[in-house]
Amino acid sequence: MGEIQVSQRPGEELVARGLGSCIGLALIDRQSGVAGMAHIVLPESAGSENEPGKFADTAVPALIAQMEKAGAVVRRLDAVLAGGARMFELGEMEIGARNAAAVKAGLARSGIKVRAAETGGNRGRTMRLTVGDFEVIIKEAGGEQVTLFDAAPAAKAKTRPVPSRAAAPLSANLRSAVART
Amino acid sequence: VTPRYTELQLDALRELANIASGNAATSLSQMLGREVGLNVPRVLALPLADAVEACGNPDQATTSVVIPLDGDIEGVVLLLIDPAGADALCGLLGVEAGSEIAESALREIGNILGTSCLNALASMTGLHLEPCPPHLATDMLGAIVSSLALAQESSGELVLVMDSELEVANEPCSISFVLLPSDGGVTDLLTPLGLAEAA
Repeated sequence: MGEIQVSQRPGEELVARGLGSCIGLALIDRQSGVAGMAHIVLPESAGSENEPGKFADTAVPALIAQMEKAGAVVRRLDAVLAGGARMFELGEMEIGARNAAAVKAGLARSGIKVRAAETGGNRGRTMRLTVGDFEVIIKEAGGEQVTLFDAAPAAKAKTRPVPSRAAAPLSANLRSAVART
Repeated sequence: VTPRYTELQLDALRELANIASGNAATSLSQMLGREVGLNVPRVLALPLADAVEACGNPDQATTSVVIPLDGDIEGVVLLLIDPAGADALCGLLGVEAGSEIAESALREIGNILGTSCLNALASMTGLHLEPCPPHLATDMLGAIVSSLALAQESSGELVLVMDSELEVANEPCSISFVLLPSDGGVTDLLTPLGLAEAA
């Protein structure tokens, strides 16, 4: 919770586990092969600076900045988000909805499009993103894994499930691309 | 403002947790007709992420009974049971696991444990404490604990978790018994003991 992860190592998995009212935000720049994920806890930092990944207003820019350092370009980013559930019918629990709204507002400020989102409801979720094939998978508590977003190049076969084999040529391409630059 | 607790305050909270969960263990034992063991409670004052981590694997499926507090302090009492333990409890109560009756049986267990815990806390502190109707959810552990901790509107950066483990004899059933008070709730618990200073 509150972490920011950035990777461009094909095959590496970024995970946000047990999202309740928290938001898992995945950002993908498939051209540079850089992916990032934040596990955002609350909508507003109220000036606090020591845990930028924890709050929507600071986490979105912090995640973008780390990804830019790794070679990503803002206008190419695709955003996917999940979480923001209302787990219990308790009076004060609007945090999930406020989190989702704050993350979307932060993305809009940076001109980043939300390609897929699964927010609200009353179930916990785990979000996984595999670097290289850029597939975002959501598992809801008590449910099956669902592919929420698949940013693989069009060349990749649309039929699922073929993750391991489809990932191999892609990561090879990425490695050679990196080698050329 | 970050609440910081002194060793003395944490000891006092641990003692409160010990007596409250002891009372709850006695009630559970009477209800099930089994011995119920109780370990030494943990009292943790941790940043939210660490507090959630301390409760266990965040995507572990967990059955939870949540009892919001009403009265002089804000907070929740939370029972965390792994699904196999919840099934074992249902078996002991003679209801079919997973059925609607099982859900109300688990809620009732939550109600009884929560009430006996609150009675103990109330008699030690002189506070007026009552349980609200319990909520039942089987979900991911991290999602349950983080959402509840956030709902306590803890303004500070530390979350206080008072946690003890109840073990039902000869059954694969352990219940984690957690008290999550709000920031103000911690002060209210400590005030009657004369330990609210520096909280």
